[in-house]
Amino acid sequence: MIREELIKKWLDNELNPQEFEAFKQLEDYEELVRLSHGVKQFKAPEYNTSGELNIALQRIKTIKSRPNNWLNPVLRIAAILALSFSVYYYTTTLDTNITTLVAQKTTLELPDDSFVSLNAESTLIYNKKDWKNKRDISLNGEAYFKVAKGATFNVNTPIGTVTVLGTQFNVKQRQNYFEVVCYEGSVRVTQKSNIVTLKPGESFLILNGKRIAKEKETALNPSWINNESSFKSMPFAHVINEFERQYNVNLDPQNIDLNQLFTGNFSHEDKELALKSITLPLNINYRLLNDTTIVLSRD
Amino acid sequence: MTKNISDNICNENLFSSVFTKYSKSLHDFLYYKFGEAFNPKDKVQEAFIKLWENCHKVSPGKAKSYLFTVANNLMLNEAAHQKVVLKFQKEKPKHYTNETPEFILEGNEYMQKLQSAIANLTEAQRTAFLLNRIEGKKHREIAELLNISTKAVEKRIYGALKKLREDIKEL
Repeated sequence: MIREELIKKWLDNELNPQEFEAFKQLEDYEELVRLSHGVKQFKAPEYNTSGELNIALQRIKTIKSRPNNWLNPVLRIAAILALSFSVYYYTTTLDTNITTLVAQKTTLELPDDSFVSLNAESTLIYNKKDWKNKRDISLNGEAYFKVAKGATFNVNTPIGTVTVLGTQFNVKQRQNYFEVVCYEGSVRVTQKSNIVTLKPGESFLILNGKRIAKEKETALNPSWINNESSFKSMPFAHVINEFERQYNVNLDPQNIDLNQLFTGNFSHEDKELALKSITLPLNINYRLLNDTTIVLSRD
Repeated sequence: MTKNISDNICNENLFSSVFTKYSKSLHDFLYYKFGEAFNPKDKVQEAFIKLWENCHKVSPGKAKSYLFTVANNLMLNEAAHQKVVLKFQKEKPKHYTNETPEFILEGNEYMQKLQSAIANLTEAQRTAFLLNRIEGKKHREIAELLNISTKAVEKRIYGALKKLREDIKEL
């Protein structure tokens, strides 16, 4: 027991002189000392503290600790917010674009209580943003507007601009054709140098660049809203174009004067009847070539 | 528990003093425990870099145990508990001119026996024993480094000594 105590004390370098003498008397003293000495030669390689410290200091300089580490997640959140806000902003300020195909009509509600009915093969573009202050619509084709009270309401077409002063009106812009009919309230039409204010029943028609006078309109809304197209002294070419738009067919006129005037209606619901409506008054024969082509000819 | 003036070590002077205080002990600890195969010096560097990166989370009082834990884990990730064989320096006779003849007689044979005997110790025994015998650390200092009781250190060192002597006799 004494022996073990002595060895333990020796291991901790705690022996006092007397104890050291006693330790020396142990039979395994020499062996212990030899072992202890031998072990010393397994010393770890030299460790250069200041050299290693310099290396570490250089490395931490390149990391450049972020003392305000809280900034990092905050920045990340801010970036995400900014990004989603800009996506939101971008998508909400994007123009709204509505297009009808041939033989298709649609009615839509604008951001205020105004309504637009879009006839076949027409495009309407407007921007939801700022709608309250600036009601601007781009139109290519034909549309019927019911405009709610509010700021100025403009319909821009390639040929002219219609400014609404609280009203119901129809705008028809087709190739070489621009017609505005006012049904209620009043509408101002700007076309090149022409500025005309329309009262109910009045219309404004530009055909092939020329202003054409029209008699008073008596209907309460445009005929196409009731699925009919009506024409008053219109070149037959316009009738053909409108028919093609409504029924998605090709009319192939042969030896027919496309400039002769046509007055009458055709329905959008019965193709056979509609064909008769536009051909019989002019003594034209029609022949169905296939599903999409109809040949018109005169004997 | 004393309250430290600063509660983190995100300060180069403080960092340097922690480095000076613990890096050598940490290095020796890693070397005696795992040998040199896995570059104890690099692990010391890595552990201190980790400490710096997380400096705002580690109080100066916790720095030591943080360093030892991180470095130990870094080692364990690589060293799959292989047998650790430490190298010994070749005898240089002039070194021992003051020593008793017994020491000079220490032959290569004895050193080889000692080498494999040290390799046979457990990691815990070897680390404590070599820190004590080679680095001359007191039991209390080792206990502090390893976060164990002085009694446990004493047990490890004495156990290591006993096992070494038995192994050398057998070989």
